[in-house]
Amino acid sequence: MSTRLRAALPIPSESASPRLVVGGLTKTFKGHVAIADINLSLLEHEFVAVLGPSGAGKTTLFRCIAGLLRPDRGTVRLDADDIAQSTGRDRRRIAFVFQQFNLVSRLTALENVLAGRLGYVPMWRGCLRRFGPSDRLLALECLDRVGLLGYAMQRSDTLSGGQQQRVAIARTLAQQPRVIIADEPVASLDPNSADSVMALLRQIARSEGVAIICSLHQPHFARSYADRIIGLRGRVMFEVPVGQFDQAAHAQLYGAP
Amino acid sequence: MTPAQQALADLEAAERGVTVRRVRFWLVAVAIVAFYLVAGHLAQIDPGRLATGLPKIWRWIAQAWPPAIEEMPLFLQRTAETVAMAAIGTTLATVLAIPMAVLASRNITPVPSLYYPARWFLNGLRGIDSFIFALLFVAAVGLGPFAGVLGIALHTWGSSAKFFADHIENANLGPFDAVRTTGAGRLTTIAYALVPDVLPVLLSTTLFWWEFNVRASTVLGVVGAGGIGQELKNSMDLLDFPRLFTIIAVILVVVTALDQFSGWLRRRLA
Repeated sequence: MSTRLRAALPIPSESASPRLVVGGLTKTFKGHVAIADINLSLLEHEFVAVLGPSGAGKTTLFRCIAGLLRPDRGTVRLDADDIAQSTGRDRRRIAFVFQQFNLVSRLTALENVLAGRLGYVPMWRGCLRRFGPSDRLLALECLDRVGLLGYAMQRSDTLSGGQQQRVAIARTLAQQPRVIIADEPVASLDPNSADSVMALLRQIARSEGVAIICSLHQPHFARSYADRIIGLRGRVMFEVPVGQFDQAAHAQLYGAP
Repeated sequence: MTPAQQALADLEAAERGVTVRRVRFWLVAVAIVAFYLVAGHLAQIDPGRLATGLPKIWRWIAQAWPPAIEEMPLFLQRTAETVAMAAIGTTLATVLAIPMAVLASRNITPVPSLYYPARWFLNGLRGIDSFIFALLFVAAVGLGPFAGVLGIALHTWGSSAKFFADHIENANLGPFDAVRTTGAGRLTTIAYALVPDVLPVLLSTTLFWWEFNVRASTVLGVVGAGGIGQELKNSMDLLDFPRLFTIIAVILVVVTALDQFSGWLRRRLA
């Protein structure tokens, strides 16, 4: 990674104050409680995995944190600002990686990465897709970081699933976020691509000083890559360092084998 | 007897005799036959009149030779008028359709309370044919192609906005969500995530509506809204068959050529 990109990224602070604090987050759909009273916090550099069966509320929780859903109750504090109800530019500090990648299929890889700059540039630039040289350089560096510099001008729907997810990660890097939320980022990928995407995310948490919270279907990915594991089933069942995620915790979350 | 054999025997017993299903089948069959009898009566279907009328058309066709070549420059000018009316009317309709389509898409409308009014408005425009709008505008702005342009524009506005809105409602909103989380505003998000997806569809349906409107607007001249239809009606009124069939031939050639051209262009956009 070039020094230029490193300089442009937020400098991690050495204080131990948490990067993201979620308090009492509750969301109900038509009388059905999806998540109830969720409390959790993330430190910078930290990679936290969220495990839980289908329908446990992982996606609801993540969409509430990212502002794609409005929670019924609760706070989302990012660097001490409550952003639970805020929209627009305030949201650029939280980046999102989706299971289905969600690239704009007819745009090139580079244009998709440049979407990460939309929270910084004036509106006319976004609407016309005309970015200045510094934004374009940053986007190319992000593509280089995920190993896809050579694909910059390729239409994103011609890339493989693993490549598309890496472009999506480059998009989050271009966003220079404080927190990255990854919702089942490897559920649609083959095992090799999945491993490289997980390794990339962990590396980003370490070197970029962002906090990453990542939901996963397969506990073994959580064991190999996460620092901490949160068990979710409508509410937080447990929260343990990765070494303490044992058979008992597994059974508590998914039911007895 | 195994449980499966028992189940089969029960099924067969239930299907014997007068079942609800059979009664329903015959009721529906009788209703369909009755519908067509009534519809035929209302439409005054009379094969006898067709038998006496057909020979007349054959005689006219026989009289149509030689074609009215000497008036070709006029016919071509009038046809060009029709094509131009359709092009301007369709373009105007598309430009007006874009904001209405955003308003009439449940998933991205900035003003949800206007969703139903927008849909009703578009259905209203769609429900009234260009022909009827043209009648109104001939009375309001006078004879000539301009009235036709306005008629085409209003009707096509409704049809194409509804089509775009349906397309947007079925679009994958994943990229839209992704761009929204980068901190982009609503308009930027639409421009960045939705427009690249929707634009080819927009262009290709606009071409389709243009081609459709050329065909539809050949008749607008009948109500005085300009174009080749006006010459067609004059010839019919004067029973000038060489002229009439020459005009029909010109329309056929131009419409076919446009079909081919717009089809080729639409394939290139896909």
